[in-house]
Amino acid sequence: MKVLVPVKRVVDYNVKVRVKADQTGVETANVKMSMNPFDEIAVEEAMRLKEAGIATEVIAVSCGVAACGETLRTALAIGADRAILVETDADLQPLAVAKLLAAVCKKEGPGLVILGKQAIDDDANQTGQMLAALMGWPQATFASKVTIADGKAQVTREVDGGLETIKINLPAIVTTDLRLNEPRYVTLPNIMKAKKKPMENHKPADLGVDVAPRLKTLKVTEPPKRSAGIKVPDIKTLVDKLKNEAKVI
Amino acid sequence: MASLVIAEHDNASLKGATLNTVTAAVKCGGDVHVLVAGSNCGAAAAAAAQIAGVSKVLVADAPHFADALAENVAAQVVSMAAAYSHILAPATANGKNILPRVAALLDCQQISEIIAVEAPDTFVRPIYAGNALATVQSSDAKKIITVRTTGFDGAAATGGSAAVETVAAQGDAGISAFIGREVAKSERPELAGAKIIVSGGRGMGSGENFKILEPLADKLGAAMGASRAAVDAGFVPNDWQVGQTGKIVAPTLYIAVGISGAIQHLAGMKDSKTIVAINKDPEAPIFSVADYGIVGDLFTLVPELIAELG
Amino acid sequence: MSYVAPVKDMKFVIKELAGLNTLNQLPGCEDATEDTVDAILEENAKFCGDVLAPLNWSGDVEHSVRHADGSVTTPKGFKEAFKQFGEGGWQGLHHPVDFGGQGLPKLVATTGIEMINSANLSFALCPLLSDGAIEAILLTGTEQQRATYLPNMVSAKWTGTMNLTEPQAGSDLSLVRSRAVPQPDASYRISGQKIFITWGEHDMAENLVHLVLARTPTAPAGVKGISLFICPKFLVNPDGSLGKRNDVFCASIEHKLGIKASPTAVLVFGDGKGEVGVGADGTAGAVGYLVGEENRGLEYMFIMMNAARFAVGMQGVAVAERAYQKAVSFARDRVQGRAVEGSAAAVTIIHHPDVRRMLMTMRALTEAARATGYIAAAASDAAHHHPDAAVRADNQAFYEYLVPIVKGFSTEMSLEVASLGVQVHGGMGFIEETGAAQYYRDARILTIYEGTTAIQANDLVGRKTARDGGKTAKAIIAQVRSTEAELAASNHADLKVICDQLGRASKALEDAVEFVAGSAKSDIRAVYAGSVPYLMLAGVVIGGWNMARAALVAQAKIAAGTEAEKRDPFYAAKIKTARFYADHILTRAGGLRASIVGGAEGVLALSEEQF
Repeated sequence: MKVLVPVKRVVDYNVKVRVKADQTGVETANVKMSMNPFDEIAVEEAMRLKEAGIATEVIAVSCGVAACGETLRTALAIGADRAILVETDADLQPLAVAKLLAAVCKKEGPGLVILGKQAIDDDANQTGQMLAALMGWPQATFASKVTIADGKAQVTREVDGGLETIKINLPAIVTTDLRLNEPRYVTLPNIMKAKKKPMENHKPADLGVDVAPRLKTLKVTEPPKRSAGIKVPDIKTLVDKLKNEAKVI
Repeated sequence: MASLVIAEHDNASLKGATLNTVTAAVKCGGDVHVLVAGSNCGAAAAAAAQIAGVSKVLVADAPHFADALAENVAAQVVSMAAAYSHILAPATANGKNILPRVAALLDCQQISEIIAVEAPDTFVRPIYAGNALATVQSSDAKKIITVRTTGFDGAAATGGSAAVETVAAQGDAGISAFIGREVAKSERPELAGAKIIVSGGRGMGSGENFKILEPLADKLGAAMGASRAAVDAGFVPNDWQVGQTGKIVAPTLYIAVGISGAIQHLAGMKDSKTIVAINKDPEAPIFSVADYGIVGDLFTLVPELIAELG
Repeated sequence: MSYVAPVKDMKFVIKELAGLNTLNQLPGCEDATEDTVDAILEENAKFCGDVLAPLNWSGDVEHSVRHADGSVTTPKGFKEAFKQFGEGGWQGLHHPVDFGGQGLPKLVATTGIEMINSANLSFALCPLLSDGAIEAILLTGTEQQRATYLPNMVSAKWTGTMNLTEPQAGSDLSLVRSRAVPQPDASYRISGQKIFITWGEHDMAENLVHLVLARTPTAPAGVKGISLFICPKFLVNPDGSLGKRNDVFCASIEHKLGIKASPTAVLVFGDGKGEVGVGADGTAGAVGYLVGEENRGLEYMFIMMNAARFAVGMQGVAVAERAYQKAVSFARDRVQGRAVEGSAAAVTIIHHPDVRRMLMTMRALTEAARATGYIAAAASDAAHHHPDAAVRADNQAFYEYLVPIVKGFSTEMSLEVASLGVQVHGGMGFIEETGAAQYYRDARILTIYEGTTAIQANDLVGRKTARDGGKTAKAIIAQVRSTEAELAASNHADLKVICDQLGRASKALEDAVEFVAGSAKSDIRAVYAGSVPYLMLAGVVIGGWNMARAALVAQAKIAAGTEAEKRDPFYAAKIKTARFYADHILTRAGGLRASIVGGAEGVLALSEEQF
């Protein structure tokens, strides 16, 4: 079974993002970029399936600017067998990415696609579900455990208030949650090997996909600053503030 | 045109998140309908009919809707979509699972986790873990939206009297099956990752006195933590320690009880969303980072707080 | 107390100052392409930051502990982390492909040395010592010794140690007394006591390979009678499996000021323990195997020593970087005092001018020492790999001149930087839990082990300057002068100031070189009285030269780079840091020159009784 793992290049999770003064977005020039952490978990899960003899080949895919090739190299260094870059400078939104991935799925015919549940830049949490819809495949989102047997995947999912387990037919889409696994550290020998692994390059037009954005970003602003703390006179006021002002209980 | 809200429910009852979503739907303009897709979900539908601002409740009742499998619920929503300009679901695990599937089937770009409606086609949503807010305008014919519940007040759960209509249930896609559910154990959550943390400091006086924090933590579903001073004094074990040399936490709510607020402690919790400090010393440094401080004896204030939380 | 490797500055120095893209054209260095090196830096940074850095503080608190049976356990998490380190292949960065390494240039390995030491100095000492032992066996061992030990050492299943010091033989190794008695089977029986053996016993590896200096019964007295032996903790069977426990045991571990997680062992050889009994001739002792030829041990040991001295210099850069990061993060958070110019409320202390001065001093010294270390590493690579013998020789001379400076200057500056780090924290800096104090304590050994600063300075004065009449030093000054010419051609205000200060400082260094080369024979005590100031002066000037080169590159990027480069705050900050270095560090050159050229009188005048 082939396993396809889409990976996204995002601003590194350690970077404190700054909103641009002209409100057109956040500053991404000269900022450290890395693989989306949820996607690292996806690659790790694919590697474990390969090591368990379930996956025969792990293919990493990334859609975006040429520099996404670096993110694919990271996936190859973790252990993916080959990579596909769908290169475009266009602003890609989740629906467009899902369409590109669907085109790749139709070419490659994977038995399983594992994606991060969301990217830590746009926090959309859509691509996996959309890809499942476009392929007409079942989905298991927010996975914390995946078992493959008898042509089906049994997946434990992180849902509000606990866990639920579902069984889905293959081919299928799984999106990863944090507790699915702990990604390995890339080893030096694997970094050296990754250089020699193949990477294909496609353009959205080759795949027959229109990637025009549907959402227009009118502005990006800083969230309101934390207001200076206050002392409250009594418990009643405190609880009221927590419920109705801070809305944390 | 009208909005369709996908209800969050467990068949027997309606979840509060539905109420916030209704408010967001109202702000989009037009009538608000609520879809209750479930199995033997009459009670949930009846509750939905009571929500103020809802004009119609649509019920799709079939066994294969019992556990909200995305493949089945999405197909149901898509079958009804023609009549709506906006389709909204709460940004719960369930809503986030189902709605993008709906959006893709309708060839629409979903707008995730909105916190404000600026216009029927324009919304505000947090990006980069809330470090920036994006105002986005959708050019799609239908707006498919998940709603961050903290961004909208809940609609009144009663006072409405919507008509309840049954709609034709779409069939079982048959590609996924529900196996089981495991509700989180009642034990307290792990310190790291907990949404609410109740922490005690040297002001607790003894390990025995930490017991008075337990009912507070239980009530809030909170993890329990401590300052290094309390750990060093032997009140509680080392793995409770929050601070530079302990765990670094950033819960939604951090309640510091009897903690003065040494720099090392602050380093471990200063990124919490809301900080509450209870301390008898009005000059304690903890008050400089607390959103809400209350000066007084923790041994009277903590029981009062527990009582007030009900 | 996290550590984030300064990957951006590292990449900048490697590429723009140390010439990665020239280096990777040399035969044997082709694998070190820019994208590969980038990936190595990023992934190593993750491992060091996520796995090793969090164990730094806990390791300091827990220490390594010796038990009654002579075994030593390391702090919680160390064993697992070392396993990960080995599995990650990181020990093999620089070592030959034939033995399981990646054979990457020393320049690339140097970034690894810096990162691992920033993350956890105590931990890093273990692989650092292994590196030295691997190098020694590689260059002087037999085919069979290499095959027996190197693969497992390169994969970090086994670790290596250097056994030099004895209670009576510290800086002066001619006094070594440990004995090695030859046996009919060509092995030796080794007996004696070694002290200060870094990572001399521990639980992180299956086997330890001790490299031991000892005297054979027929050896001449003094340094010419010392031989080098391999003495494994467990003998290795012909099939490669581990055999008998050798007669080498840890008698105690030291209680130290810093690097507390690193066990510093007293090792006793030939105490009648273990499973090896006595030799065929009845001699008790640990089983050892001669490395190379008899009586050439010290020469071989210097192979390890030179690599280790360079690495210790990088430890200085490493701990300085960590101290700097810690101080910056505290200064950003800590609110204390109003602004001197007035402010509505108290401000974070990073706003205060003197805190700025301290942070800039820390930053400028660290960046300069990093650059000096990396260009030294690149010179060593060129000295090994360049096809042209003359170029190799020039690079070798350049590298050898720089080694005592990398070791001496970087470690001395690390004390200054770590001390400033404590100072930035104010009273909290003096409190252990804050963490700034650990860097200060850990740094304190760096100017001592692998040859004190004075030993480095003696080397710089004697072998590296006086011996060639100052030729190498003057060649470096000529390079500094050409950088000055480039600076002078610029109209940039900061570059002009840098040019000015660098000119004065390089003149001071030139005067000092003349003095050292000129007076070495006529007034040797006066020259050595100024040896450490001479080393520091050379460090200040070469660091300033590299900061100036960095500023020139940065200015070019801002003026004519890509759009992203033009706007990159890194380059603007580089120029200002170089400017700060010029005004605050290069200006030390004049004072140092005065101490060297005219300061001997005061150093040497008093009689011993007058002290």
